[in-house]
Amino acid sequence: MTLVTPDFVEELQQYGDDTVLRCFNCGTCVAICPLINDSFPRRLIRYIQIGARDRILAGGRDLWQCLHCGLCSRTCPRQADPAEVILSLKRLVLAAWREEDTKNV
Amino acid sequence: MTASKHQRSDRVGVYICYCGGNISDHVDVEKVRADVEKIPGVAVARTNMFMCSDPGQELIIEDLRQGRIDRVVVASCAPSLHETTFRGAITRAGANPYIYEHANIREHVSWVLHGDRATAKAEKLVAAAVGKARLLEPLQPIRVEARRHVTVIGGGIAGLKAARVLADRGLEVVLIEKSPFLGGHVARLDRVAPHGEKAADLVAELARSVLEDEAITVLTRSQLVGFDGYVGNYDLRVRAVSDGDGEGQGTYVPFRGVSGGTPPELTIETGAIIMATGFRSYRPRRGEYGHGDHAEVVTLPEFIRRFSMAESADGTLVLDGRIIRSIAMIHCVGSRQIPGIHEEDAEGRLNEYCSRVCCSAVLHAACRIRERFPGTRVHDLYRDIRTYGRDQEELYQRASGAGVVFYRFSPEEPPRVTAAQEGAAGQDFPLRVTVRDGLTFGEEVEMGVDLVVLATGMEAAQVGDLVAMMKLPVGSDRFLQEVHPKLAPVESSVAGVFLAGTAQAPMTIGEACNGAAAAAVKAASLLGRGYLELDPFVAEVDPDLCQGTGDCVRACLAEGALEMVEENGHARARVVAARCLGCGACVAVCPTGAIDLKGWSLKQYEAMVDMIVADLAEST
Repeated sequence: MTLVTPDFVEELQQYGDDTVLRCFNCGTCVAICPLINDSFPRRLIRYIQIGARDRILAGGRDLWQCLHCGLCSRTCPRQADPAEVILSLKRLVLAAWREEDTKNV
Repeated sequence: MTASKHQRSDRVGVYICYCGGNISDHVDVEKVRADVEKIPGVAVARTNMFMCSDPGQELIIEDLRQGRIDRVVVASCAPSLHETTFRGAITRAGANPYIYEHANIREHVSWVLHGDRATAKAEKLVAAAVGKARLLEPLQPIRVEARRHVTVIGGGIAGLKAARVLADRGLEVVLIEKSPFLGGHVARLDRVAPHGEKAADLVAELARSVLEDEAITVLTRSQLVGFDGYVGNYDLRVRAVSDGDGEGQGTYVPFRGVSGGTPPELTIETGAIIMATGFRSYRPRRGEYGHGDHAEVVTLPEFIRRFSMAESADGTLVLDGRIIRSIAMIHCVGSRQIPGIHEEDAEGRLNEYCSRVCCSAVLHAACRIRERFPGTRVHDLYRDIRTYGRDQEELYQRASGAGVVFYRFSPEEPPRVTAAQEGAAGQDFPLRVTVRDGLTFGEEVEMGVDLVVLATGMEAAQVGDLVAMMKLPVGSDRFLQEVHPKLAPVESSVAGVFLAGTAQAPMTIGEACNGAAAAAVKAASLLGRGYLELDPFVAEVDPDLCQGTGDCVRACLAEGALEMVEENGHARARVVAARCLGCGACVAVCPTGAIDLKGWSLKQYEAMVDMIVADLAEST
């Protein structure tokens, strides 16, 4: 069970453009992605929409497989700009990792 | 009885169509022509690639003009397709259109049989048609006077629009409305999808123009209680709606008062009727998505009304003094119900149809909430988004842009609305909505909300009394049914009764006005000339043979189509042609064979049967 946290979308805004709610979950980005299976990048975009922060951090490794070829953004029918969202997520994960790191020291 | 009744024509023209291969690929059309030509009474037998084409019709017209033939048989497709085409050709040749008989050798032959059997059956059907055609008589259409007056039942947007268009076409109109107000359901809306006009403006403008028009009489608080007559000449009885109905004047009704009695009836003489009786908003069962169990669960119409009085607290919605931080809106409530999944109503019925307007109405409401109150979150839970009309898909896009979050559920596992558990994390909301979300890969997600809005659909209005009185057909969805969904979309099967708006099916305001305008124009064109011409295929009594048994009157299916009258001291049956359906029930029961159908007489049937059982080679 995931509790929906709508505020998360606003938290992400400090890391990049706010286009993620434009996505209507068609999956074109998943179909076009040449590198990664398992519903990338739609899965992460959906987790942003419902604010499932923990899921995003848990699945953060996928982000670093992305080559930023830009095919997803070019084919997105809703101009949700998945490639840019992935960049924002990278910034978020890095920031969170630093926080975790500091805590552990 | 005319002497010609028993005379057979010897100048039948037979025209056999190839239908561009549709028929000729399976039926040896030239063999049919050669054999049919030998049948007694056939003067001319011709073939053509397309009989319905201009050159094909010219063959018939030319033979008639030259006097070679005086009866016509066309063997082609179904009569529903081209019977009127060929009757028209005969009329253009200056002859009576009822000297025509049609043989269907496409649907009944070439589409279902092949080879010799197809050709043999085609010959039988054409021969039967020739047999009947030889006995056909010229007939005259029945002409009845028609009142240039239409009664519209229902004063919602469709009824108002129909009345407006009828008056513009120069007809007199009576508009009957049960409630004290005009405007129906539209009057209960605030701003309407997709463009956000004020419903009040739409209704007020239209209603005022109806009220100001001298050609339109508006009767509010009125209901139809009697229906008699026939197309062009209906007599309606209308009475004021009264709570005291059924109670004698002066009767004390406990906790109500003393009955004023049943109000007097008014008779309206009219030519046609437009049914604009509207819909009823679906009422959720107790417990359906928590409705009735939690005060925070409301229907979309209820929400729209409350939202019109919304207040703001720093950009967050306040309704009735309560701060609304988060709203869940659930689609398809009372629509698209599935047997075995959804619970049936008290009468064991389900609404299996899509109500068509709710998706756009919900999204419009969601956009308005988000745009006016950015502090309020909106969760939209749908099965499918069906924003099918112009500028409606844009509404879906606009909702996404405004930050509405969507969730997709399956009918097998609908969202659950429960009271929030006290002390649970992130649960300072009165309600919790849990849904297995198709967009989140089938995971269960949960949200805390202050309000749940149910997008309730449309149900057929409760007009059982009118349906029974006027014998109107009703679809399996309980809405009034048209004759044909595409080709006769506003006509009911009762001649002179038309359908307008949501009485017929769920539709938007624009669609309801379209339907209403179409119904009004159909009624106006029906009555415009002040008289009607009806098909002459009705019963006819031979007064010399009639014994006055009254069997036919008892067998008659159309009320008032047959009556007993005194003639020279004897009881005799008489046909009221305008009311007769031409079904033939009377012909079957008459002990003396005194009643017959014009254009479908027993003698004509016998001739057809004779030709079917005859060996064609023998008869030639």
